[in-house]
Amino acid sequence: MLGRGLKRKLSDYEENMAGLSSAFDSSRNLPYPLKRQLVLNMCLTKLQTYKMLVEPNLHRSVLIANTVRQIQEEMRQESSQQPINVCNGIAPNPPSYPGIDSSGISLHLPSGSSQQESNCCNSWSAEGPIENSLLMVSDDDMSSAISSILKDLDFMEDISPPTSLVPAGDDEPPKSPENTCLKLEDDRQDLKGAECVFGSFEISNSTSYLKDLAIDDIFEDIDTSMYDSDFCSPPLMAPRPPSAATEETLKTFPSCNSSSANNIPICRTDLKWVLHYLS
Amino acid sequence: MSLFTHNFSSDDCVGLHHFGETRWQYSTDIISTVEFNHTGELLATGDKGGRVVIFQREQESKNQPHRRGEYNVYSTFQSHEPEFDYLKSLEIEEKINKIRWLPQQNAAYFLLSTNDKTVKLWKVSERDKRPEGYNLKDEDGRLRDPSMITMLRVPVLRPMDLMVEATPRRVFANAHTYHINSISVNSDYETYMSADDLRINLWNFEITNQSFNIVDIKPANMEELTEVITAAEFHPHHCNTFVYSSSKGTIRLCDMRASALCDRHSKFFEEPEDPSNRSFFSEIISSISDVKFSHSGRYIMTRDYLTVKVWDLNMENRPIETYQVHDYLRSKLCSLYENDCIFDKFECVWNGSDSVIMTGSYNNFFRMFDRNTKRDVTLEASRENSKPRAILKPRKVCVGGKRRKDEISVDSLDFSKKILHTAWHPSENIIAVAATNNLYIFQDKVN
Repeated sequence: MLGRGLKRKLSDYEENMAGLSSAFDSSRNLPYPLKRQLVLNMCLTKLQTYKMLVEPNLHRSVLIANTVRQIQEEMRQESSQQPINVCNGIAPNPPSYPGIDSSGISLHLPSGSSQQESNCCNSWSAEGPIENSLLMVSDDDMSSAISSILKDLDFMEDISPPTSLVPAGDDEPPKSPENTCLKLEDDRQDLKGAECVFGSFEISNSTSYLKDLAIDDIFEDIDTSMYDSDFCSPPLMAPRPPSAATEETLKTFPSCNSSSANNIPICRTDLKWVLHYLS
Repeated sequence: MSLFTHNFSSDDCVGLHHFGETRWQYSTDIISTVEFNHTGELLATGDKGGRVVIFQREQESKNQPHRRGEYNVYSTFQSHEPEFDYLKSLEIEEKINKIRWLPQQNAAYFLLSTNDKTVKLWKVSERDKRPEGYNLKDEDGRLRDPSMITMLRVPVLRPMDLMVEATPRRVFANAHTYHINSISVNSDYETYMSADDLRINLWNFEITNQSFNIVDIKPANMEELTEVITAAEFHPHHCNTFVYSSSKGTIRLCDMRASALCDRHSKFFEEPEDPSNRSFFSEIISSISDVKFSHSGRYIMTRDYLTVKVWDLNMENRPIETYQVHDYLRSKLCSLYENDCIFDKFECVWNGSDSVIMTGSYNNFFRMFDRNTKRDVTLEASRENSKPRAILKPRKVCVGGKRRKDEISVDSLDFSKKILHTAWHPSENIIAVAATNNLYIFQDKVN
């Protein structure tokens, strides 16, 4: 059920998850924040798993991402109503609940626990390795998980754009989950830090990859020392095409001309050599 | 193949009386789609291995009256093969997602079959005559020495054993970036549409190298994506109208006359959320897995994880009928989310008169709802429970408290046995139910 290419091995973690989800379903006394955290962890685990797939299922990814955003929004609203700062999920707060026992199957709940007084996100005490593995993932991770999943989906993409030229006017302007994610991070590092996680995808994603760089940077590794001089002596290797054709070929690289102005002046014969090399 | 006869008990009559059943087992592959043609004479199935199997109904015969209406294999062919997209390093599954028949216009049958990326038009035709008596080649097909030919003759057509051949007539490829989930033939019989997660394309049957994009919900920035297309269908009579459903539980009806790109819907169907049923999984279970127009064209039916809803095209703010398929699963949503069952895509079908609707569930159960009497029944597609001349027993799931003798408790349900695909004959009470790798055909035999 997890998709292609990923073998699912039974592990302690997964056994615990199965036990927890059935505990979620069967126990009516489970505190709401605990339930919410459990669901959130499951969502993020799934998203991380999908990230490893060659082709994640878009439908499922979107549904799970929406669920995560919904929980995030809820937690954000709760935290904004509370005087306590939103915890970043790393340092556990004074435990309100003892957490799960080592078997990971049943949950022991204190009788008469005060519930919604405490914070919204961290209700676990770090009592053992199992609990630690289930500790809250930070909002950073949530945002980056969603963003990277969806960016990945954009990356494997779109050779054939739609033929219709009518601009797509969406009746329902999509909510901007980016803003939601950003608001959650007022007391921690920039989103830039998280963006670095999928920064590498930006490059391959961008269609202006070539335009952004000067033509020199692309061919950095090519030894052009012979031609890095002011006098444009005809190169010994490349035959010289008629000047009319040269003019024409130069016209096709307007951006290269402008960007190269800052660098080593490329004379026409250099460009000709580049074009020849490319072909 | 033996023929079983089953009788409904009169207590749970939903307008169907006696059922004779045939079961076809597919050796290895999971059936992924089932579809009757417009007359009901043919039943097509597609499976995970890219194969299409077509069954044909036996003609009425005086010699064997009890065999009337039995379906037998008519044709089998490999529709799609696994492919590898080298550009994206992706494997393209050969699984047949949908089959749709074209109405019959001549002696041959035509159907569309699709996998995740490519739609194909197949022609299925019979050959029962063969030309004999060629001049230039002998009966084995070997060429004759022209100098040895002393006389000319006219080849004649002689009868031969019936041969059914399937040939691919059109291949509609390279138009979908995302996975195709639906195809639908237009009532003009000249065009059809294919829908993937984010786009819907309109094709002309004659033109394979180009299609019109009529719906595009892909946002400029994929991070803003919150909704995908889950199913789409043309109106049965109005060739300009179609609907598509979304993962947010909404249905949009579009009119192609309004504009070339139908991003603005004509109607928008959405039911306000019931706050008492709100949970973390509300959005996931509201995702619509199937949408079907009624034969009359007046209603649409949608299937989400727990319910089937019937909508009147003239009322957008809520459905006119809601049927609970397996509401006992509502308290198990977290477990079903954990094992991914919550993402299962169940289909739904109308009977010929639009009076009964049917959909599948788990444990090889499937459900029928009579819209007029408001009665419903749960049946099981399982060979263990099929005995000759036995009553096809309605099943019941025990939701709590004391379990009666024949009931099954929720915790005993087998979630690996799911009935996602069913089909109903266009005019008679014959249903086809796909249970993993078994195809069951139930017939209503009135004595």
